[in-house]
Amino acid sequence: MDRREPIPRPADGASTPTPVPALPNRRAANGEGRSRLRGWLASPVALLPLGLVALVAAVLLWESRLANLGPSFWGLNYFFDPSGGAPSVFGVSLFLVDSAIVAGPALALASGLSLAIAISTVVYLPPAPSRLLTLLTNLLAGIPSVVYGIWGYVVLAPYFGTTAQPTLRGFLGWLPGFGGPLSAGGVGSLLAIFILTIMVIPITAAVMRESLRNVPNDLVEAGLALGATPWEVVRRVRLRAARRGLWGAVFLGLGRAIGESVAVAMVIGASIQIPPNLYTPSTTLASFIFYQLDSAFFYPNLLTALTEFALVLLAVALVVNLLGQRASGADATVIVTGGGRG
Amino acid sequence: MIRDRGAGPTALAADGAELAAVSPRLRHRLRLDGIVRWALLGAFAAVFFPLFDMIYWVSVRAVPKFTLATFTEYQVGNAGGLAAMIEGTFVLIGLATAFATSIGLIAGIYTAEYAPPAVARIGRLAGNVLAGIPAIVIGYFGYFLFALYTGWGYTTLGGALTLSVLMVPFVYRTADLAFSSVPASQREAALALGARRHQYLRRLAWPIALPTVLTGVFLAMAIGLGETAPLVYTAGWSNTPWTGLFSPTSFLTGAIWLFYEQPPTLGALLTLAFQAAFLLIVIVVALNLGLQWLADRYRRRLRGLGA
Repeated sequence: MDRREPIPRPADGASTPTPVPALPNRRAANGEGRSRLRGWLASPVALLPLGLVALVAAVLLWESRLANLGPSFWGLNYFFDPSGGAPSVFGVSLFLVDSAIVAGPALALASGLSLAIAISTVVYLPPAPSRLLTLLTNLLAGIPSVVYGIWGYVVLAPYFGTTAQPTLRGFLGWLPGFGGPLSAGGVGSLLAIFILTIMVIPITAAVMRESLRNVPNDLVEAGLALGATPWEVVRRVRLRAARRGLWGAVFLGLGRAIGESVAVAMVIGASIQIPPNLYTPSTTLASFIFYQLDSAFFYPNLLTALTEFALVLLAVALVVNLLGQRASGADATVIVTGGGRG
Repeated sequence: MIRDRGAGPTALAADGAELAAVSPRLRHRLRLDGIVRWALLGAFAAVFFPLFDMIYWVSVRAVPKFTLATFTEYQVGNAGGLAAMIEGTFVLIGLATAFATSIGLIAGIYTAEYAPPAVARIGRLAGNVLAGIPAIVIGYFGYFLFALYTGWGYTTLGGALTLSVLMVPFVYRTADLAFSSVPASQREAALALGARRHQYLRRLAWPIALPTVLTGVFLAMAIGLGETAPLVYTAGWSNTPWTGLFSPTSFLTGAIWLFYEQPPTLGALLTLAFQAAFLLIVIVVALNLGLQWLADRYRRRLRGLGA
């Protein structure tokens, strides 16, 4: 953040107003009592966002009240029979595992690339190209996820089927998860990982850039003065000083990766299974509850189960998001938005 | 901020030959620095090649088939244009922006100016949390609240309200930031001259904060424009002219979601999907450039205030 501290004034009398701290709320020195009253009256308004979060959680909790939270809910089995002949089993863990299989590699790739981008923009590139590339990264964040989806499904999938998958298997087939049957049309986990990587990068890159930029100049200058090369300063000073923020970026990226529904639904092949390898069609928690909802309107038990899944997704997203905010020093929304400072 | 580049031994590297003679170890370290510098740039290629590839293919599929009918006709079967989706998108985004801006702006100003610090902290945290809730979860919420509980079914209003829940945190957090970062000197000057709080807010803080608030609104619009998941089960779908707030509506992202799997025999629909994608990209690029312009303006303005 480029928020400036107020310049401390010389103490020239008791009437000097106390310097206003940068972030906490300001109160006029006069009318403190009235101001405090007004402050508490204002609280409900300031807490509107909290109210919205609570409302979302409350509605989902209420709608999933009928779900049978038996041990089978946390199990790896999912079976739904529309005719109601056989008893249905709604296990959420299957989808959590699938989500992890897709989000994990995507996040790892995105974090590495984002770190490289952040280091380049903060340390190596001159200001003008650095700003241009930041603008382009923000543009990446603004592209609607369905657009990634249709590009992935129509343009990339055939290429993945004929070229990318066989090539990857040729080189890495001996590794577990990289061998085995390919997905004929190209849709599957690998394509979802690829698309998701591109979608996560803008967020992780933005937060990483801010954390690297916020490393105190004293530390950087000290390193340079000791004769370290720029890369040595990055490795031994910047990366260490910004470590928390970098982890925060990874968690915020994870939040995006597990929450993405539409683009993943379009390219992953929608197959309810734990994929035997990276190429096979599979599903994720978020994409499953997205494309399955319209089949659920006529089956109350399916609708309740899906709502319960949505609740699990909400819980996971909240935990990941709070961890990310804590580590990155909050204000991720503002960082990603550019906060009016580009 | 200090850029690391051009300082330290690198500054001397112009005399590389001499230095190398001094110390092979230094030569090695400088070479490593150079390698890293170019290797890191490779990451940009890895990221921007897909971006340009996507824009290229969407353009190739969409642009040659654009006609006037694309914008004026309604889609019927395997023919027609995007008129209904364009209409619907404008109405949805317009309404949702209005809702999100009114809620987000008021909450942001109260958080920055009136709320006690503890409350403000919770508000900000909740704002960031709300921004992190997956869109499809908001979609479920909107379906239950605005389609079922109200008894409306799929409506434009329900879709816009659901969308605004997703957009609020971006307006809220930027409004809060905008009013919190008005220079302390300005505020003290106003209060010292006897201004009341609302006078200070309206006459002094508001003009300074406006560009940042607008960036938040623009960003919220870009976010709302790109969402599909919250709308599919709240706004529904309709390829006829828009008839009112309580009727379902279609939208550009929905066209892509509905038509992307169409077989070649229904090629016109796939083309419509790509054209919708192209329009979305154009609008997003325009919004991004607008954001950038506002940000520059704001920076210059703050500098003028001697902040």
